[in-house]
Amino acid sequence: MNTWPGPDNSWEGVDAYFTWADSPGMLVLITLGVVAVCVGIIVAAAKHEAETAENNK
Amino acid sequence: MTLEELNVFVTTQANVGMEAYYWWCTALMVIIHVGFLMYEVGATRMQNAVSSGVKNLLAFAFMIPTFWLFGWWIYLAFPGGFVPIDLEGYGAPWNTSMGPMLSDQATGIFWAAFTLFACTTASIFSGSVIERIRISSFTFLAVILGSVVWILGASWGWHPDGWLVTRFGFHDVAAAGCVHTIAGLFAFGVLLNLGPRIGKYNEDGTANDLEGHSLVLSFVGLLTLIVGFFGFLGGCLIWGGADLGGWTNIYGAPATLSSFVFNTLMGLSGGMIGAFWWSKGNPFWMMSGGLAGIFICASGLDIWYPGFAFLLGIVAGCVIIPANNFLHNTFKIDDCVGAVSIHGVCGILGMLVVGLFASGYPAAGDIPPSSFMGQLISACVMALVGFVPGYGISFIMKQADWLRVPDSVQKAGIDKAELGLQAYHN
Repeated sequence: MNTWPGPDNSWEGVDAYFTWADSPGMLVLITLGVVAVCVGIIVAAAKHEAETAENNK
Repeated sequence: MTLEELNVFVTTQANVGMEAYYWWCTALMVIIHVGFLMYEVGATRMQNAVSSGVKNLLAFAFMIPTFWLFGWWIYLAFPGGFVPIDLEGYGAPWNTSMGPMLSDQATGIFWAAFTLFACTTASIFSGSVIERIRISSFTFLAVILGSVVWILGASWGWHPDGWLVTRFGFHDVAAAGCVHTIAGLFAFGVLLNLGPRIGKYNEDGTANDLEGHSLVLSFVGLLTLIVGFFGFLGGCLIWGGADLGGWTNIYGAPATLSSFVFNTLMGLSGGMIGAFWWSKGNPFWMMSGGLAGIFICASGLDIWYPGFAFLLGIVAGCVIIPANNFLHNTFKIDDCVGAVSIHGVCGILGMLVVGLFASGYPAAGDIPPSSFMGQLISACVMALVGFVPGYGISFIMKQADWLRVPDSVQKAGIDKAELGLQAYHN
């Protein structure tokens, strides 16, 4: 999938270039990391809101 | 220069020009969010001004990765309804098309433009729920609206293979349906479950005006976001490229930026004047009327006679205030910026006027011409696509006690209680 780098340190034949993330597995892993961050931050914000509600009763 | 070299030169320039065009449309659309942020913060009471801004910024920040994760794929995969078509991985975040690729100058730039459309839907929703929705709940709902709901509607009614387009000739070139109606009706669904701000309604059902802290900030914000809408509307046209055919609308039929700008400005003007007259000079409603004037013209932005666009704008400017009053009096909602009326009601009207006044307008290829029944059916679908998930998901969140800021925190002020900040100091 990843065609970078081209032969002889050139751009010849290069199309997709994902540098070190040169496998579907790695791309899926990074994607899961993005999902985890998005979900985790929302959950953390919800917890903070619940604590604030508790403190302001 | 040989003929072959000339061909390469023209194709390269067309592709680079396309990238540059949508790049700047995307950049302009960021200004929509500057405008919405100013508008909403101004409409908020001082004790909640920071949290309103944070909420708006978070919607923007979360929309980008989530639209990369699944929003763009939904647009491409669901033109036929609820069953995805096989794209052989295209559009999935681990596909090579969703990253740096020398042979693909289109995917990234279209993904970016659509991401900013998604952010716009979230901003539309955002203003209606200020001062009592939990920030985390809002962020979640904004992601659902921007990266799932509206883009599903766009796949049905904006994608050239969308079932509303291919079966009913749906004509909605500048997204009165898939952006404004869906966002407005999604907001309406959430508002029904969220409830009003403390102090909005009295026990006898009469309403109180909870004035925002800066009317000036609000109407300057409204004018600012109109600048951004030039990027939005420009992004609704398809770059002519090297096929010598010129611009087309989203459905592949010939269109021009000239027609777009005639009708955008005339609709804007009509809406401002209509709302000025109806509101007796309230600048908040005047600028909201300007937006509504654009939205009522949006479905047929490529085809209206400019004088007619102006008259449609007048209608929009006069409709939004009574429509907003009706919604408040009937459903006891607290739509702080009139988003349901401005975007939802005028979006629906925008789709219907194409059926009334542009029935029979031809489309490209096998797409049937526009018709009143096609526009009516599509308007109903767009309204349901917005309302049903907005109401259903927020209902579940309400049952889980994950929707509304508790009364004690509202009374203390969300900025101070939750963020430890205040917008203004001595």
